[in-house]
Amino acid sequence: MPKKQQISFSKSGILASCEKRSPFLAEIEAVAMSKKVITREEWERKLNDVRIRKEDMNKLVMNFLVTEGYVDAAEKFQMESGAEPDIDLATVTDRMAVKKAVQCGNVEDAIEKVNDLNPEILDTNPQLFFHLQQQRLIELIRNGKVNEALQFAQEELAPRGEEDHSFLEELERTVALLAFEDVSNCPVGDLLDISQRLKTASEVNAAILTSQSLEKDPKLPSLLKMLLWAQNHLDEKAVYPRMNNLSTAMLEDPSV
Amino acid sequence: MTTITTNTASTTTNTAINSNSKNGNQDPGLYFIDVARQYSSPVGGETELEPTELNTVKCSGGFLVVSTDKLRVKYTNVNHHGHNVGVIQADRPAPEKRLVYYFEIYVRNAGAKGQIAIGFTNHSFKMRRQPGWEANSCGYHGDDGNLYRGSGTGEAFGPAFTTNDTVGAGINYASQEFFFTKNGAVVGAVYKDIKGLLLPTVAVHSQNEEIEVNFGKKSFAFDLKEYERQEVMKQQMAVDKISLPPIVSYELVRSYLLHNGYEETLKAFDVASKNTIPSIYIAQENGFGEQHIAYALAQRKAVRQLIRNGEIDSALSKLHEWYPQIVQDEKSATCLLLHSQKFIELVRAGALEEAVHYGRIELAKFFKLPGFDDLVRDCAALLAYEQPHQCSAGYLLEESQREIVADAVNGMILLTDPNVKDAQSCLRSHLESLLRQLTVCCLERRSLNGDQGEGFHLHRALNSTSTAGRGPSANTLV
Repeated sequence: MPKKQQISFSKSGILASCEKRSPFLAEIEAVAMSKKVITREEWERKLNDVRIRKEDMNKLVMNFLVTEGYVDAAEKFQMESGAEPDIDLATVTDRMAVKKAVQCGNVEDAIEKVNDLNPEILDTNPQLFFHLQQQRLIELIRNGKVNEALQFAQEELAPRGEEDHSFLEELERTVALLAFEDVSNCPVGDLLDISQRLKTASEVNAAILTSQSLEKDPKLPSLLKMLLWAQNHLDEKAVYPRMNNLSTAMLEDPSV
Repeated sequence: MTTITTNTASTTTNTAINSNSKNGNQDPGLYFIDVARQYSSPVGGETELEPTELNTVKCSGGFLVVSTDKLRVKYTNVNHHGHNVGVIQADRPAPEKRLVYYFEIYVRNAGAKGQIAIGFTNHSFKMRRQPGWEANSCGYHGDDGNLYRGSGTGEAFGPAFTTNDTVGAGINYASQEFFFTKNGAVVGAVYKDIKGLLLPTVAVHSQNEEIEVNFGKKSFAFDLKEYERQEVMKQQMAVDKISLPPIVSYELVRSYLLHNGYEETLKAFDVASKNTIPSIYIAQENGFGEQHIAYALAQRKAVRQLIRNGEIDSALSKLHEWYPQIVQDEKSATCLLLHSQKFIELVRAGALEEAVHYGRIELAKFFKLPGFDDLVRDCAALLAYEQPHQCSAGYLLEESQREIVADAVNGMILLTDPNVKDAQSCLRSHLESLLRQLTVCCLERRSLNGDQGEGFHLHRALNSTSTAGRGPSANTLV
């Protein structure tokens, strides 16, 4: 129900982003854009006021060790720091064994191990199962077992391709490997590359982690990215001591 | 330009870590006394009070009745003009230090004209008008489905709403938008051009109009959790776009293990990385600059283990043997931490008499010393209770206290390295410095955004799985 009354709003100005410039330019800009200037002393006081608990840092490191599969280190870390892993470390060993099997080309072995861990993983991930079978086919071709490869493609992979069209394309691409004598120079040669194994291995790894209700990536890299992101955004409104090199974590003086 | 202080820990005093040079006269161990003090209050970030009911003191009395639970409103008058709206605000403003605030109404009866509105207004809102008609207010109106923002003229927005509809209003602090829902689905969103605190507000304006307000006591028709999750994902996607060489995480974990003297873990970590990432390993082995941090690794490991096992006497005697300079000054922060820990271990073991005796000899001298007093008093307080675990000084009996003492000694040993250039790197691992930087950047960014939105708390970030969301069972928000 409209009423007569008109009020206008003025929106505050939008600040431009700050690229790397000379300190002098940065200073001019800071003044011109009315950026907040935070001195090193003020900033360090703020840093000191932050509460970071040791056990949380330990947890973060443990999460990295477990997710990345450093089982022995995780075990030792549990003893030395008291941090508890989110998960039974034995299952990490199993997961790493699966990953390693794929990386080494022992796909059959890997499939068996995944099913030992949890048969639902492959049952509920037709795409993953297809990729593993595809990898198996690649390994057969790599080893020159042409007959076996053909039989495997027709019996195991072709029926899957009927379920999903994208599978069929992948299958055809893979079988194409057989058409070339010198596979190193053929258009689908990338399938024989080690990176294809790594890709499949990381897919299995992620699926196992998901089945264990764990995130597929460790939290640490994402927090580090968040730091870079937060600094970039803060640059738009303030001049303050940054950490430009994450590996050294050195605080660098604001350029004003 | 004013300084905005967003202290997360008011108890902290500014001590050891200042500038990157060694501070001659100040005891660096004081830094760890501060850390210990932080544990005396619970971690949890900010908690803001939420609206829970309607504010019956300040409302358009005479036009509406409010139920006794202060969650139901009915218009009882016959309206004649635009200045007798039955408008009522929540008892508290919408909390700001979060991603999203949201509340709902259920229309029990659309009454004669269905002139029901839901939205946000500020404290100075004129309590006889529809939300949206006045400056600094915004409202979604049921009779025409229009959105009103500081104007008596509405903008086409969404469907009208009437009896049996559930309608919601929210503030998305990340996108700085108001959003509205009808029966569980988002109707639309608009830029939030009002600064400052906002009160959830509802209005009824024709005979027999009756609504129920839900501030979250009952479950919402709208899937707020999913909305929040999507919002987090949006931010996560922006963050994920930033590229970061995987080696950085690896290096930080390694330097963390080195810094803390987790020698066994480090060995296992290096053996494993040798197989998987050979190039890194070689670079590390030939690398320079980390020598000083590998300094006294075996000794630091040994002392840490002793302290973690509560064997303080052994730790002290090792220190006397290896690094007498650390325990030379009987009134240093490190000595206080070690002696107080010994005292705590005695209390833990129930040897109270011995604890009293020990306290008189070793702790009494720290009484009244600035910076030390609080810790000494908390130690003494443990004696006063039959169940010391449950008293306010109970935090001292936690495992974390041993860890702080171990960290302090570790830092002090690192400082004895003659090659050390940066005192700060002895007291904090790189990882910790980065996490502090992250926290301050997020807080500072928020304070420059009118203090609205989420901050960053490591503790919360680690204990929520909201960013996972990819797994089938990973959508439980903590």
